[in-house]
Amino acid sequence: MDWYRIVALCAACYCVLVMGLHFLRLIRLGKPKDLSRKSGSVAKGVAYSNTAAMMPNQKESAYMHLPTYAAGIVFHLGIFLSLLLFILLMIPPVEAWLFSLEWLCALLAACLCVSTVCGFVLFFKRIIKKEMRELSHLDDFVSNLSTTMFQLFTLLAMCYLGGSRCVSTAYYLVCAWLFFYLPVGKLRHLLYYFAARYHLGFFYGWRNVWPPQKKENHE
Amino acid sequence: MNKLTKAQIDAALKLLKMPADSKLVTHLNACVHCGLCGTSCMYYTTLKEPRYMPARKVEMVASLYRRYCTLTGKIFPHLVHARELDEQMAEEMIDVLFGGCTMCGRCVKHCSIGVDIAYIVRVGRQMLAAMGLVPATLQATVDAALNTGNNMGIPTEEFVDTIQWMEEDMQSEEGFEKATIPLDKEGCHVLYTLNPREPKFFPLSISAMAKVFYAAKESWTLSSTMYDVTNYGLFNGNNEQAGVIAKHLHDEVLKLKAETLILGECGHGSRATRWEGPNYLGQAYEFEVRTVVELINDYIRSGRIKLNPALNAEKVTLHDPCNLVRNGGLLQELRFAVRQSCADFVEMNPCGNDNYCCGGGGGQLAMSEYNERRLKIGEIKANQIRATGAKVVVTPCHNCVDQLTQLSHHYKLNVKIKTIAEIVADALVMEK
Repeated sequence: MDWYRIVALCAACYCVLVMGLHFLRLIRLGKPKDLSRKSGSVAKGVAYSNTAAMMPNQKESAYMHLPTYAAGIVFHLGIFLSLLLFILLMIPPVEAWLFSLEWLCALLAACLCVSTVCGFVLFFKRIIKKEMRELSHLDDFVSNLSTTMFQLFTLLAMCYLGGSRCVSTAYYLVCAWLFFYLPVGKLRHLLYYFAARYHLGFFYGWRNVWPPQKKENHE
Repeated sequence: MNKLTKAQIDAALKLLKMPADSKLVTHLNACVHCGLCGTSCMYYTTLKEPRYMPARKVEMVASLYRRYCTLTGKIFPHLVHARELDEQMAEEMIDVLFGGCTMCGRCVKHCSIGVDIAYIVRVGRQMLAAMGLVPATLQATVDAALNTGNNMGIPTEEFVDTIQWMEEDMQSEEGFEKATIPLDKEGCHVLYTLNPREPKFFPLSISAMAKVFYAAKESWTLSSTMYDVTNYGLFNGNNEQAGVIAKHLHDEVLKLKAETLILGECGHGSRATRWEGPNYLGQAYEFEVRTVVELINDYIRSGRIKLNPALNAEKVTLHDPCNLVRNGGLLQELRFAVRQSCADFVEMNPCGNDNYCCGGGGGQLAMSEYNERRLKIGEIKANQIRATGAKVVVTPCHNCVDQLTQLSHHYKLNVKIKTIAEIVADALVMEK
């Protein structure tokens, strides 16, 4: 195996290990111990929190900021696609099969091109808009840039990886950097996002706020 | 501000270092600084200052967490914006977490991630409380409740006089000649509670509820000493003090051998007693705890009281108290009571779980130093009310009543503010 693939693999293992420790800590700390009498259903609240409550029509952060929201969704889809492709490319037979399908590589590259552009748009928005600049710190820029570069180099890998050692080296080193940095800064929200949705569902489900109550027939 | 001592800092940081469960760690690690929460906050929207953006409020506490509880924050504080807990930080926290947030939770529902921002703000307030840095005005309200049993420090004699006066006044009305306001009666089904603003400023809301109890033939009583439903410990961030206040009502229910504790029309008091109280006390209640709106609805549904909506002919709108609806699950219960009591009901836009806070929550009414801000952020609510064209605003929360009354005066809305008990009492049809 090439050295840069080993580096990327080690970084990925480190990332999984550290994030696993974060996950274990959450499990160890446990869910809130609420002594009040439950009014609703936690299970239904958590289910709602992860489904309908995430719909754009339910959130001002989505429907009042549609371009940013849409860019964010596409950007995150690109990240998950890139993560999936990284796993596939680490398996030599799958890698060979993938690069034999030129049309698929072209399609994936096109998708990643869009998500990469979204990443850069969000990055520059953070720089250009005053309130975003004031809200941000170094970690925000590094995180945004790291994930955007991850997608950009996955895109390049889809185009050139089969025949370019230079692209291969760069791609795996960018992946290694991302995996190394992920547990350090705000990219940890990869895990904490799901935990936050759980806690929100727990809170609102317990109090019968979520799922929203149906209108009673008042007549 | 005096220099913070090590003991103060340690007391504050203990809250971050020893979380009770995974909720705190989760929400402190979840914000991505997308900035999309700004438009859901009435402070940020009206005052247009970046420091009021909900993400910035989370960031205050999260930056301390990173500095003292994460390896990266300890080694590379500048990379992750990990801040020291010093005098400047404490002053910023007081100004924004106490003076720039009502903990209404509107931003929580609209957060792109689902960060419980209001919860983090309260953790920030807990840290300030641990350092003894609660604004004196708010702390005075808590101290009054701790020392006298009610947050306005009303002497028992004065309270009893007011109740007797209200009883006599009520008995002079046709149909209510035999109605009473029982005090300290043992073994009743209901122990009813009040916001001390009622005996002090709004005694008619007490007699309104007494009429409803009379019409429903309820077995009920008030306590002459421990009747205060409010608990400003929810707002000052001192759980120990919140627990002492919660114990007042808890012990009174047991003392008077009541079956059910009915929470008067107070949003935060209902929340602090119904939802947070058992956690402050460290035990589940041995009796039933419900809000008065739920009780009134039981009377309506079971036919124990009869209402004639035509008796409230003016156009009515409803202000949803954040602690009863978004944080209490009573969205439809409030609407049921109001729709049954008035002929012309119109909703605000937005309403329900999306409703804007009146601006009086979070202890803002107790902190006079932020009065100007409080009235300014109320502009959103004033515009909402004006747009409905309603002549009456109903809200089951005396803090909201206070703030809405001030908004009506300040923004010249010319609306009447009523509680649900008042509008229900006005619609009562008494059997001859």
